[in-house]
Amino acid sequence: MSGFDNFHTDFYQTSYSIDDQTHSYDYSGSGEPYNKQYSGYDYSQQSGFVPPEMMQQQQPYTGQIYQPTQTYTPTTAQSFYGSNFEDEPPLLEELGINFDHIWQKTLTVLHPLKVADGSIMNETDLAGPMVFCLAFGATLLLVGKIQFGYVYGISAIGCLGMFCLLNLMSMTGVSFGCVASVLGYCLLPMILLSSFAVIFSLQGMMGIILTAGIIGWCSFSASKIFISALAMEGQQLLVAYPCALLYGVFALISVF
Amino acid sequence: MNPDGGPASKRRLPAASVASPHQLFEDTSAGALGRGYAAQQPPAAGSFLAEPVSSFAVAYGTTLASQGKEIVDRNIDRFIPVTKLKYYFAVDTVYVGRKLGLLLFPFMHQDWQVRYQQDTPVAPRFDINAPDLYIPVMAFITYILVAGLALGTQNRFSPDILGLQASSALAWLIVEVLATLLSLYLVTVNTDLTTIDLVAFSGYKYVGMIVGIVSGLLFGKTGYYLLLSWCCLSIFVFMIRTLRLKILSEAAAEGVLVRGAKNQLRMYLTMAIAALQPLFMYWLTFHLVR
Repeated sequence: MSGFDNFHTDFYQTSYSIDDQTHSYDYSGSGEPYNKQYSGYDYSQQSGFVPPEMMQQQQPYTGQIYQPTQTYTPTTAQSFYGSNFEDEPPLLEELGINFDHIWQKTLTVLHPLKVADGSIMNETDLAGPMVFCLAFGATLLLVGKIQFGYVYGISAIGCLGMFCLLNLMSMTGVSFGCVASVLGYCLLPMILLSSFAVIFSLQGMMGIILTAGIIGWCSFSASKIFISALAMEGQQLLVAYPCALLYGVFALISVF
Repeated sequence: MNPDGGPASKRRLPAASVASPHQLFEDTSAGALGRGYAAQQPPAAGSFLAEPVSSFAVAYGTTLASQGKEIVDRNIDRFIPVTKLKYYFAVDTVYVGRKLGLLLFPFMHQDWQVRYQQDTPVAPRFDINAPDLYIPVMAFITYILVAGLALGTQNRFSPDILGLQASSALAWLIVEVLATLLSLYLVTVNTDLTTIDLVAFSGYKYVGMIVGIVSGLLFGKTGYYLLLSWCCLSIFVFMIRTLRLKILSEAAAEGVLVRGAKNQLRMYLTMAIAALQPLFMYWLTFHLVR
């Protein structure tokens, strides 16, 4: 029993705080699903368990998606709670975080010459891009630049611009989540650049060449994924150019 | 009972001690574990979704979202003609390459007439003479970034300057398009030039501006003036040859000089529009190159 309570403690500790509880109590009677970040279902006292699809439709950068994964111990949790929980899907699957796909997408970005599979972008996964944005901001922090706001602002504007452009250029449309997801994944080489900036300054000739190379790498993989997912032929360079502009602005932040 | 649960139990205690007024968790575990843990256990994600009320709420939420999306999709066509815009973005890399070459060297190109296919002009992908919006939009954004770069090398950069440059260039573009529309209206020209076409044509000068600024950054003032005058000349010729076919009547367009006040007026109008381009190109770039 004490062991059970210990487990309870751990589980409780990492996913709740008093703030969440009082906050959600206020909205428990609202019944308006989309007004607040902690969406007000009648039973939704736990903001951490809101399905990710809902969260993504409201704000892609809530970060709430992240917390429950650290408390993920599905089998032990469910074995204590009885039959209601045994036939439920595991937490990660319910939240839509598929590690295998995340890894596949990361590999696609890291091998720019490998042909991309068009179907991997079918589910919009914002967990990976969120990690990469935070990692980028963290590496910038290591150099002393506290510019999370710029990173988020530029990515939001850039994603919006790419979304409009791709919708106008392709035969089939795209969803905003797909664009944000692809652009976020292809930010990974930019994290490499900003971690180089920690070690040596990027303002010399070597830094310029490295920056140009990494911008090319990012935009090449982003355009490769976009054209394979949207079946746009003969437009890879046309898609790569606005991506290069966007990643160029990120590089500007890292370099200067 | 909780040897290492000190902080957690402290955190939990206020919630548990005021169980009734702040009972945040309805016991949704179907009574499996009894009421003892009701105030303390967090119901797992599945149970909350399995409840009929919450599944109804989920369904309601998704219908709200799809309804909202439908309304946006229906009404966006009223403000932004999306299908018309799609025509201007139906480009491919070969077209863009050729068009850029044409913008910088229009002197050898012979046939400037846009090909038609059953009353609708062919998509830019298939005809180099068709106007597109990809190049103007990308050139505009690149111009803003290059302007920021140029100001940065002169240590005059700050993020608000970018916004200032962008809005002033955009304002001049709007003024130019409105002036052209007004003059076309006054001269009562029967043309199939749409507003978007005019925006596209006015946007082509940004390519020359970028070339000028970049050469100014690389080669100093002489490089800037040289390349800018070349680009001014080529955009002048390009505009004259393109607009001649659209504004003037067929006879004059084929090179036969037709006397008459109407055609003369139209010729002057074409030349005025074409002459505006180099003027704006110089006006919007000279302060960037020192």
